[in-house]
Amino acid sequence: MSTIQDFSGYNPTWCPGCGDWGIGVAIKQALVQLSLNPSSVAAVFGIGCSGNMNDFLNAYAIHSLHGRAIPNAIGIKIANHKMPVIAIVGDGDCYGEGGNHLVHACRGNHDVTVIVHDNGVYGLTTGQSAPTAQKGFKSKSTPTGILETPINPLALTITSGATFVAQSFAGDALHSIAMIKAGIEHKGFSVVNILQPCVTFNKINTYQYYLKNVYKLDKDYKKDDFKLAVQKSLEMNEEKFPLGIIYQIEKPSYTDQLPQLKESTLVDKKRFTDFDKIEKLFI
Amino acid sequence: MTDFTWMIGGEAGFGIMTTGIVFSKIATRSGYHIFDYVEYPSLIRGGHNAYEVHVSDADVSHLSPSIDVLVCLNKETYEKHKARLTSSSLVVFDQDEFEIKEEVKKIVIPFKKILSNLKGLPIMKNTIALGASVGLFGGDIDELIKMISEQFVKKGEEVINFNKKFVQAGYDEVKKNYSKEILECLVKKPGDDKLVMTGNDAFSIGSVIADARVYVAYPMTPSSTVLTDLAAWQEKIGMVVRHAEDEISVINTAIGSSFAGVRSAVGSSGGGFALMVESLSFAGITEIPMVVFIAQRPGPATGMPTWTEQGDLLFSVFSGHGEFPKIVLAPGDNEEMIELTAKAYNLADVYQMPVIIMSDMYLSESHKSVSKKFIDDFVANYKINRGKLINKTESKYLRYQITEDGISPRLIPGTPGHFYQANSYEHVEDGHTTEEAQPRIDQVDKRARKWATYLGHDFSMPKIYGDLEKSETVFVSWGSTKGIVLQAQKLLKDKKTDSTFIHFNHLYPLDKKKVLTLFKENKKYILIENNSWGQFGKLLTMETGIEIKNKILRYDGRPITVEEVIKHVNPLTR
Repeated sequence: MSTIQDFSGYNPTWCPGCGDWGIGVAIKQALVQLSLNPSSVAAVFGIGCSGNMNDFLNAYAIHSLHGRAIPNAIGIKIANHKMPVIAIVGDGDCYGEGGNHLVHACRGNHDVTVIVHDNGVYGLTTGQSAPTAQKGFKSKSTPTGILETPINPLALTITSGATFVAQSFAGDALHSIAMIKAGIEHKGFSVVNILQPCVTFNKINTYQYYLKNVYKLDKDYKKDDFKLAVQKSLEMNEEKFPLGIIYQIEKPSYTDQLPQLKESTLVDKKRFTDFDKIEKLFI
Repeated sequence: MTDFTWMIGGEAGFGIMTTGIVFSKIATRSGYHIFDYVEYPSLIRGGHNAYEVHVSDADVSHLSPSIDVLVCLNKETYEKHKARLTSSSLVVFDQDEFEIKEEVKKIVIPFKKILSNLKGLPIMKNTIALGASVGLFGGDIDELIKMISEQFVKKGEEVINFNKKFVQAGYDEVKKNYSKEILECLVKKPGDDKLVMTGNDAFSIGSVIADARVYVAYPMTPSSTVLTDLAAWQEKIGMVVRHAEDEISVINTAIGSSFAGVRSAVGSSGGGFALMVESLSFAGITEIPMVVFIAQRPGPATGMPTWTEQGDLLFSVFSGHGEFPKIVLAPGDNEEMIELTAKAYNLADVYQMPVIIMSDMYLSESHKSVSKKFIDDFVANYKINRGKLINKTESKYLRYQITEDGISPRLIPGTPGHFYQANSYEHVEDGHTTEEAQPRIDQVDKRARKWATYLGHDFSMPKIYGDLEKSETVFVSWGSTKGIVLQAQKLLKDKKTDSTFIHFNHLYPLDKKKVLTLFKENKKYILIENNSWGQFGKLLTMETGIEIKNKILRYDGRPITVEEVIKHVNPLTR
């Protein structure tokens, strides 16, 4: 049985009060509760304050480039589909720079869990606005207010084919742990969008703001109803933030559909040597 | 002696490509060697396609200046290629479709009439043309019928028999009306089994031999047939082929799978590779093995997608931001492509760095026959070397351990009792991020030492064709120009001009000391490249200080020809 300490690397360098602290603990706690240990899980980190968790969380890990964590995670899963793979990313990382990868990973139903730190700003580069910033948000890169409307991460991923989409709030550790656990346990592409205050650069989306605007889904909410899920996710556009599993269905994952992975993982399989089979195609 | 060129041309979208391969395979199945080349526009329908096959008794990898039999499925074929006809060339065409005014040896085959009599589709003109061509060369009609049967085996007996009728009709026309013109140069003779493959096929075969288990790509001419080859074989050979959403995802997927412990490769042309280069640098600092296949075409930007050029050499050599080691190889023909591809996977594993294989449209899409024995022997001797890949370790594991040869043990993720991160930030030995000065210097130096280790162990000097001591004229070239220069050397020798050819296929890094020994005073060195800058010449200057001023450079999208090499050396030759 592993403990939180087994997963703990360097001491985090996040700002005091940053939502990342809560998410960091929630991820470790979820891994412990799932009986995983640092040798049995693969984690890919994006670039940003969230990605800096690379040094604070012990696992077989890649600290990727900005935006590229998802394809790295897909590659690990293809090579070793028995290993749980998580991608720990930020909103600019995943919805901006890596937006194309996100959409196509949803389509592929790759069995990886993407945990997004959604705080509406670029913290590590000192506070420019992120794709999830509300329209009009003033930042160093948008001094008169951002012209674009925000990405709706829930609606985007649900309509792109993700089979598990959840949302939680960094201020609610227990709920975040539950969502992360459910995401990792889900077989297929899972997204957990975690609303997170940036205490240094975002004076709008504060703890108080979220406490006022989030609400938990009813116990009898039907999470496998696509239309209902889209409808729920659209509430984000009105600054109402549902928390919980917004959408979940069962579908074969990408690696489930590859006959060449039925017998064993790619990394463990025997070498192919029947070259005559290939040669004869050319004679 | 058999040495001839057959060409078929017609409108794009009418089966010219398939017909060309069938002709190539008939030649190899009849005991001959082939080299073929296709010309086609970046269109699916409309425009002009031409497919030429150079057939010879001897191993061949160049095109011939003249066409011996030109099969014209439309008038444009004749107009575009008539300049390459000689007084003895035969022109196959249908008088009901167009007239030829010039004095040429005409072989009139009534394609239109045959199609209408036998109720065939327009595309079946090709089938008639194949029958007529085999007839004209004195080839074996049964071999052709066998091939057609194999081609349509899934469509059933009825389709096969229907197609046979068109083959026979073309063949009979020749036998009946042109028995005097029959060339008797495709007569079946004994010979070993040969494979008809393109450079792309050779890369795919090399990858299978090397036990590559992941290939990721986004389609881009002229690299796409690697993707389609491997995708077609993946279940059979136990590989996973991912057609990702873009080239950035392509290389990052492969970085993930390579990290997890399986041999992985990506492929594209220059434009797609341009999208990958940030991640190439990422593979560089994380020391994740990566094989990158680049089939060049003329750029910049979209350039001329279906034509050839060696214009991305310097881009590949310098690809990626920051300073990290990489290896660049450029095979000269299919045999070298198989060898160097398989070697590239070993190098990537041993040195834990990106290894780039440079091809171009000319090598990637031309078919050349390769003896089956060559491949079988290569397979028997090839040994997979995964370098310092380990699956257990006693002490505390350090992914980026400082070592004398610069190479650190690489632990397969998932190994119990350990963990580590492959870090795109600069890192200390155990993988954690650092911004301290000394660990930075240590890691930069460690990575750089891998180059020195490579030069000492795995760098291969260029192959020398000829006698460097004796020849005054020395050709210097790289990659796909090999067959062309070799043929020019042969023809020059017939004209009493002795020459030597230095052919580089391990392009970067170069061993300065060793390479310098090849450059001597009082010799005429001629640089031959399919680009306008003389990029390898610049690289040679950078790495060794040698400057070659005498150059043959071609950058119109076409391959360099044997004749222009000869003319350059001997301007008075005809």
